[in-house]
Amino acid sequence: MNTLLAVIIGALTVYLVYTLYARRIDRYVIQSDPQRATPATLYMDGVDFMPTNKNILFGYHFKSIAAAGPIVGAIVAAALWGWLPALIWLVLGVSFIGWASDYSGIVISVRNDGNSLSGVAHRLVSPRSRTILFMFIFFYLLVGSSGFVSIMASVMESQPRTHFGIIVLTAMGLLLGQMLYRWRTGLVGATALTVGLTFAAILSGPLTEGIFTGFNTALNNLTGGAPLITYFDPTAAGFKGADAQMMPSLLFWALAIGAFCYAGSVLPIWRMAQPVVYVAFWVSATAIVLGLLGAALASFVKPEVAQFVIPAFKGWNPQVGPSGIMPLWPMLFVTIACGAISGWHALFGSVGTARQIENESDMLPVGGGAMLCEFLLGLLALLSVAVGSKGAPVAAFATGLGGFISVFGVPIQYATSLAFAAFIVIVLVVTQLLFRVMRVTLSEWLGEVVPPIKSQHVSSLICVGLAIVVVLTGTWIYIWQLLGGANQLMAALALLLVTVWLASVGKNWLYAGLPALFMYVTTVCSLFVTAYNLYVNVYQVNAAAGRVAPVVGSALLMAIAMLLVVAAVFIGYDGVRAFMRYRKRPMVTPTAAPARA
Amino acid sequence: MERTLSRLIARRWASVREAVAHFVYGLTGFEFARHAVEMRHELEVVFMVVTFGDLVGVPILPPVYSLWLLPHVVPEVATWKRHLARRKDFWEKEEYDLHGL
Repeated sequence: MNTLLAVIIGALTVYLVYTLYARRIDRYVIQSDPQRATPATLYMDGVDFMPTNKNILFGYHFKSIAAAGPIVGAIVAAALWGWLPALIWLVLGVSFIGWASDYSGIVISVRNDGNSLSGVAHRLVSPRSRTILFMFIFFYLLVGSSGFVSIMASVMESQPRTHFGIIVLTAMGLLLGQMLYRWRTGLVGATALTVGLTFAAILSGPLTEGIFTGFNTALNNLTGGAPLITYFDPTAAGFKGADAQMMPSLLFWALAIGAFCYAGSVLPIWRMAQPVVYVAFWVSATAIVLGLLGAALASFVKPEVAQFVIPAFKGWNPQVGPSGIMPLWPMLFVTIACGAISGWHALFGSVGTARQIENESDMLPVGGGAMLCEFLLGLLALLSVAVGSKGAPVAAFATGLGGFISVFGVPIQYATSLAFAAFIVIVLVVTQLLFRVMRVTLSEWLGEVVPPIKSQHVSSLICVGLAIVVVLTGTWIYIWQLLGGANQLMAALALLLVTVWLASVGKNWLYAGLPALFMYVTTVCSLFVTAYNLYVNVYQVNAAAGRVAPVVGSALLMAIAMLLVVAAVFIGYDGVRAFMRYRKRPMVTPTAAPARA
Repeated sequence: MERTLSRLIARRWASVREAVAHFVYGLTGFEFARHAVEMRHELEVVFMVVTFGDLVGVPILPPVYSLWLLPHVVPEVATWKRHLARRKDFWEKEEYDLHGL
């Protein structure tokens, strides 16, 4: 297997799914009507509801949904089960579930006056489903932010060449915000300056590596080289499990990331979060575009970086830790989330993109098209790790992506530096946003009961503190799979809601109902498996050794897993009842669609 | 025949270029434009509430200056009232911040 063949499979998947399946659903089931007025045209207020050109919206929606998910998921799955199961799930997932979820999230909002998924759930399913969704989102965000902080701290500790680039990226983000919103500099000039300097800093990573290696060593010498925490890590020693140590340098980088996210959470959006995301976009987009082109060209130009080197299939139930289980079903289906299907996409599509859809015929290219592009991002991550030789999964990914970029003549050490930086940059900006939304969610949820939580500083500190506690478990792989479980469960709930809506308006619900059932059963089972693994591989082993931090963290994660299951059972029960009700007696169809002016 | 074909190709090429330009704008500058609109809108809401709050039930005795301003804000009144009256979910207030998840 080589990268060219995989790229051809990816391109064919996108073409066939879009033309043979998605268009039929759009035409014959949803019956999108270009003459029907959309909420953007009906309720235009110049801010939330604003008709927007479909190509602009496509770029905007794709940028909004593309993040670290497809990259980390593919890396972990390839390391656990091999590249073949990961590739098959990416292709089948996006073909039959992923695009349908993203597209339907937009459709349901457009056909329901621009209401978000929770608003539609409140009306169609039950009032309590909205409240449960609320709690669900908070824990989803907590697990997500913890997983990303954990991964990033490990990578930053082990890759000092990335530090200078990240520091300059932050500074350039702040500068860009100042230039655009205060000094009124033009976007092109400000972009050229800030992005140019960031690239220069990233590419000079190998030159500054020695300085930061010395810095990490100095930090570790503060304790005389002794670890702060020792814990059992079931993923260490080639997934056999071994004692791992948390050194002061790792804690420092975890806290530094926490401080970065705290600042991103409490500062005005234009001051930090938005411009940092913008600068980061150029870094990651450059690496991704060069990587995709490089993957396609490598077979002709540099065949040695185009051959897959990891096994195609490693087993149905690879051993992780002393007694853990990792069955391909259901765990693969939650390990790879965003490249195949993601619940967050549907949620975002319903509150953001749907209100800017100018014409119903734009719903498919924007929602389905962006998800199919996201699939290509997941495919690139899989290819990178598949050709990336040995080593830790993230290092293998960066080596592979660096190899693709080197096809264009960039020296391999600089190309790898860019790939590492792109990975960290994507994860970093996502984590910052996760904390920001988590802070808002916490304030809204508990602010009335505990008034101090209304303070953005208090709620941000609580969120960062909770995430650090979870990170202390040291088992990033379970945090990640818990995040995948929560994310996919949200996708299942979104599809369930779409199914209920389709039944309520008397349409064929199978294209959403069958994926909803599959994802619901799969994700609930995966949450049980993750809780079991946490218990036998982390809780029991560390409790026997008398280690408090990982025991507390794993107990917290198990509790979160069970809470998510309970929330899913409640929403599922209400959803099925609503579905049965509407199947017997569909709602009265509203009067004819308003004609477009 | 040749001229028609070349015209067709030129038109196609122009539309592809326009689509790509729009896509890149959506990826890059559109968010800044949206945020700038949001910031302006927030200021406008404050201004409207202070001057024409009685239109949405805020008891304000309109001074003569409000009457002078009235013709200028009339086009905005309908959308402004609609915007204020719409119920928002908690994450919609931070909708922009959800990007990239």
